[in-house]
Amino acid sequence: MFGYVIPIQAELKVKELEQFKGAYCGLCHSLKKNYGFLARFVLNYDFAFLAILLSQGAGEMQYCKKRCLAQPFRARRCPEGSEPFHQAAGYSLILTHWRLKDQIADGGFIKSLPARFASLLLGRAYRKAARDFIAFDSHCQTQLSKLRELEQAQSGDLDRVADTFAAILPHAAEQVTDEAERRIFEQLLYHTGRWIYLIDAYDDLEQDKQSGNYNPLAARFQLTDGKLREADKDWLETTINHSANLIASAYNLLPSGQWSGILENIIYLSFPTATKSVFEGRFQRNMGRWQRRKESTDI
Amino acid sequence: MNDPYKVLGVSPRASEDEVKKAYRELARKYHPDNYHNNPLADLAQEKMKEINEAYDTIQRMQSGGSSGNASYNGASGGYSGNYSGTSAQIRMAIQMGNLVQAEQMLNSMRDRNAEWHFLMGSLCYRKGWLDQARQHIQQAAAMEPNNREYQAALHQVNTGGFAYRGGQGQGGVDMCDCCTLLMCLNCCCR
Repeated sequence: MFGYVIPIQAELKVKELEQFKGAYCGLCHSLKKNYGFLARFVLNYDFAFLAILLSQGAGEMQYCKKRCLAQPFRARRCPEGSEPFHQAAGYSLILTHWRLKDQIADGGFIKSLPARFASLLLGRAYRKAARDFIAFDSHCQTQLSKLRELEQAQSGDLDRVADTFAAILPHAAEQVTDEAERRIFEQLLYHTGRWIYLIDAYDDLEQDKQSGNYNPLAARFQLTDGKLREADKDWLETTINHSANLIASAYNLLPSGQWSGILENIIYLSFPTATKSVFEGRFQRNMGRWQRRKESTDI
Repeated sequence: MNDPYKVLGVSPRASEDEVKKAYRELARKYHPDNYHNNPLADLAQEKMKEINEAYDTIQRMQSGGSSGNASYNGASGGYSGNYSGTSAQIRMAIQMGNLVQAEQMLNSMRDRNAEWHFLMGSLCYRKGWLDQARQHIQQAAAMEPNNREYQAALHQVNTGGFAYRGGQGQGGVDMCDCCTLLMCLNCCCR
């Protein structure tokens, strides 16, 4: 969806890189197996992170060797049949669906044509995902409609706007039975959502200015030219880093498991690095490409 | 009780130094200062207690039962000062996680003094609303610049907090920040 949450490849061990690629493939295969071929187009790194995070506490995984169109010659070992991967696949479809609906409602007929087309293609897959995760579907719809109301009111209440988005993902923790663990997951996922929302808002500032779209940061800091003043930029960066710190402090309370290497890479290293590169304007928006993050870490 | 060696993540054959090193690393990870005002502070405190007990047990076993209590004593402050009725109730509600109740009480207060802004800031912080938390705490600290509690909270929101990130302090954590924070908190505890 956004593609900001991705490990730093250069810092992964070889086996962790294989494991991560396997998880990414696992999510893709899970999308296809549960929701059909077209569902694969919503595949993204943020939900691979969700699947990995949920797998950490889920015990033994079922692995299988799979090939696909993108990898026709080399079968990859991936945990496609596991419940966390099914859940992440369903959640990504539901979230994509409601975001597309938002775009359709926001833009005119011509402007929203791509979104209409995508929504049409994903319709079947979405309906199946919504049947699998009824509670998340209505939760997601509620939160995004709250967000829409705030956007239409041009709200400058940054926390409230970010909260509507950030509160979507913690829903994934609801089935965790252990009370303490559930609280940890909730904080982790809440601040991951908040981090993604704010980083994305910053990344979109200039684009939103040009297209005349609502941007929560422009409203919060009363910007007229789509550029943040230095002091405001520092303020925002602190608030975003604070979320990254709350993510890390929550993660530290979880027991370690088979995904620890990848999760620590993402949580300890990737969040701060991505924040820095977005703020320095070095983050390339190039969905689904490793190259982007390589560039941002090399410098 | 859990196996103390498992808690510290070392083998039962580990030397005294290895045990100490593992203990120190975990104590750094779960130190109350890393979880100051954090909604998960109680869980970190439990972890800290667990590793303290494990370390003490191992030390007793290694020295034949004569060792004293050598582990870190993590008495994290909490709200124990003398505060007026409503303020104490709000502090308690925030600490217990009754955020709706705390918000109602704060909204019904007429006097928007420094304490009110501090409590509102603490409430926002607890909810994860870090932007407003910082604004309120700045306001509280500006109204009462000599209040050490407000200054410590201000430092926390101005620096963006702190989290343990592996052994070598990866992820661009500034050790100076950490030291200043520890010094500030130390002042508050006196």
